[in-house]
Amino acid sequence: MEISGSDQLEYYLSSLNELGEILIEADKVEQIGTGVLRLTLGTIMASKGVIFLYKKDKEELSFLASQGIDKAEPISPPKKFVENIKKYRYGHVVLENTPKWITGKLKKQIVESKTRVILPLFHQNHMLGVMCVSKKFMGEEYSSTDVKILEIIAHHLTKALYNYELIQDVEDKKTEINLKLLELETLFDISVAISSVLDTEELGEDVLWRAVGILNASKGMMLLQKETNPILEPSATFNWDEKTPLLSKKLEVFKKIEENNAGVVLTPENKVHLQKKLNEKHLVVAPLKAKNKTQGYMVLCNKETRHGIEAFNQLDLDLLTALCNQAAVAMDNAKLFKDITEAKQFNESILGSIATGVITLDPIGEIDSINLAGTTIMKMEEENIVGNHYMYLFEKDEEILELISSAEIENKIRSEINIPFFTVSKETVINMSVAPRLDPEGNTQGLVIALEDITDVSKVKNTFKRYVSKQVVDELLDDDAKLNLGGEKREVTILFTDIRGFTSMSEKMKPERVVSTLNEYFSQMIDIVFKYNGTLDKIIGDELMIVYGAPIAAENDTERAVITAVEMQDQIKILNKERKKRKEAPIQFGVGINRGLVVSGNIGSRDMMDYTVIGDTVNLGARLCSAAGPGEILVSDSVWEVTKENFSYNPLDPINVKGKKDKISVYQIQT
Amino acid sequence: MADFSLEVKDEGDVVVIETNGYLNNVGGEKISQACYEKMENGKILFLLDLENSKVVNSIGVSILIEIIEKLQDVDGRLGYYNLAPIVEKTFNIMGLTKYSTVFSSKSEALEGMS
Repeated sequence: MEISGSDQLEYYLSSLNELGEILIEADKVEQIGTGVLRLTLGTIMASKGVIFLYKKDKEELSFLASQGIDKAEPISPPKKFVENIKKYRYGHVVLENTPKWITGKLKKQIVESKTRVILPLFHQNHMLGVMCVSKKFMGEEYSSTDVKILEIIAHHLTKALYNYELIQDVEDKKTEINLKLLELETLFDISVAISSVLDTEELGEDVLWRAVGILNASKGMMLLQKETNPILEPSATFNWDEKTPLLSKKLEVFKKIEENNAGVVLTPENKVHLQKKLNEKHLVVAPLKAKNKTQGYMVLCNKETRHGIEAFNQLDLDLLTALCNQAAVAMDNAKLFKDITEAKQFNESILGSIATGVITLDPIGEIDSINLAGTTIMKMEEENIVGNHYMYLFEKDEEILELISSAEIENKIRSEINIPFFTVSKETVINMSVAPRLDPEGNTQGLVIALEDITDVSKVKNTFKRYVSKQVVDELLDDDAKLNLGGEKREVTILFTDIRGFTSMSEKMKPERVVSTLNEYFSQMIDIVFKYNGTLDKIIGDELMIVYGAPIAAENDTERAVITAVEMQDQIKILNKERKKRKEAPIQFGVGINRGLVVSGNIGSRDMMDYTVIGDTVNLGARLCSAAGPGEILVSDSVWEVTKENFSYNPLDPINVKGKKDKISVYQIQT
Repeated sequence: MADFSLEVKDEGDVVVIETNGYLNNVGGEKISQACYEKMENGKILFLLDLENSKVVNSIGVSILIEIIEKLQDVDGRLGYYNLAPIVEKTFNIMGLTKYSTVFSSKSEALEGMS
């Protein structure tokens, strides 16, 4: 059947219409290729055809669609083909014989597909591919209309491929931008972590995880270096099941990083010791560097792709370096914070544990901190102290205000002891020291007040200083254990003195003269008592009762008692010479000394209580004193026994004493 | 290298896959393999419990995109729950959440998928 020209035209027009539908409907390039090739071959009645896509970066032709022949591996076309085909970019090539510029695997494909017409697919100077169409059915020759139709289809295909390439390019760029955005977000997240995560280990782990993820690494580890340790310490690992090997910071690769101040990308060609140690060929290593000091390294292994492992590149190293720089600063900050916190806790624990109250004032004189001892001394809650101005807090204490003010104005340390502290109570006594607070540049940032509550000490001193020497008071205050005022049995030495004939002497004197005479006498005698650490137990009229061995016992209590007595008798001779000059009657007294068990403690009522000793030992001491004549020192057997080696005694006849059935041995000291 | 593991459970019409480990090439392939096997048996709704996968890389994401594309061909869906913030952020940035859904809990996810 004859086909008329108008039928042919209508057929071609319907083919072009179908072509439009294919290009509109297809959403994948493969669908475009297959659809267009089928349409082309059907339109011009050819049995075989191929559409190749040209990838400029790889310089290869890959099969997009084929009909009548099997798809094969991509072909690298000869350079001459690329150069020559360009000449026909808006037309076609009809192959009578295979031209010389078609060689190799391409020639083989052309021959196998019985290609008759090649249609270059060019967008401007850029080759997108080629379409090869075989001889027509039954060897019929191509008409000019056939060729024109082929060119029209090729132009539309070119446009579609170009559009697809553009879309693909946009998609690729979009993915690339997303990845870049992810990188930026990661960097941003780490910068946020700098101010939020203050645990160095947590921070290190976080940064490592992000680095592994963002760089598509298969695993990684963070190594920290310490000055004292030659081995790098793996502080965090990710996806690392194998035991981490010992890595010396002297390894060549780390030295190189240090020298060049830059990380490295290692590929299988490098063959450095680190790759062997980690049993990995693809590595990227960047230093963790802050303040020009290397803190360690981040090591990532194996850059993953969908098709296997590939080498890390410079961009990967740049990104890892940026992450490491941020991480190093963050970790340095975290470490600094940790150090400061520890130092603060250390200071607070010291301030909290000391008995001295510490108050700090800011530059305008407001209290910004007080330790536990401070609140205890102040007898106030911290919240009622902090924030107040010192002038308000200590308004009842002028002396304290002056002290603080003077330290503030003169910028010097000022101290005062035994200050009454009316802020707390009339009875409270403190020692206070005020010092300027200086910052590292030496600028004054306020004041530090140290206060010590010495009320109890003051009470003890006031109580005991009348009875014992300063040395004994200090000893008692230094060691509370020595002070047992609750009542106990103990061995002591008791010394009594009694002025002979004082009653008759005083009857001839004016009362005030009596008092001044006694005061002069007692003053000199008690000085001697304290000189030998005796405890003045009582003054009864013109009598003195002294104790050695209470409240503090010593090995030489008895010797000291005897020396005291001897020195007292020597001193009275001196005093009497004075009295003689003043035309006053001499004072003479007797002394009795005994040693034995007594009960000691605070004895008396709630209103009137004294530390004293009681018992037979005390009574016998008093009896011996009564028996002693003027200037005489009598001691008991127990005293003689202890001191006979050091003093000369005259044994006297045993005497009867009140309350004792048997006579008592008595010894007189030779003075 | 640490193993990536997963547990696959059928909860009604929904297939729940609990993952454990780095969602990278290896992890992604294991997930896709599990999904495709279930798809062959007619399952089209999938939920990933990523509680124990705290790190994901772009290869893992690209494999999830492949799964989503295949599910779209059969009108199926993919959802996730128990995502670490860093993983959720990665999914958002890489555009994954445009074609799949992040749920805040398993119960919400099961309800949202059915």
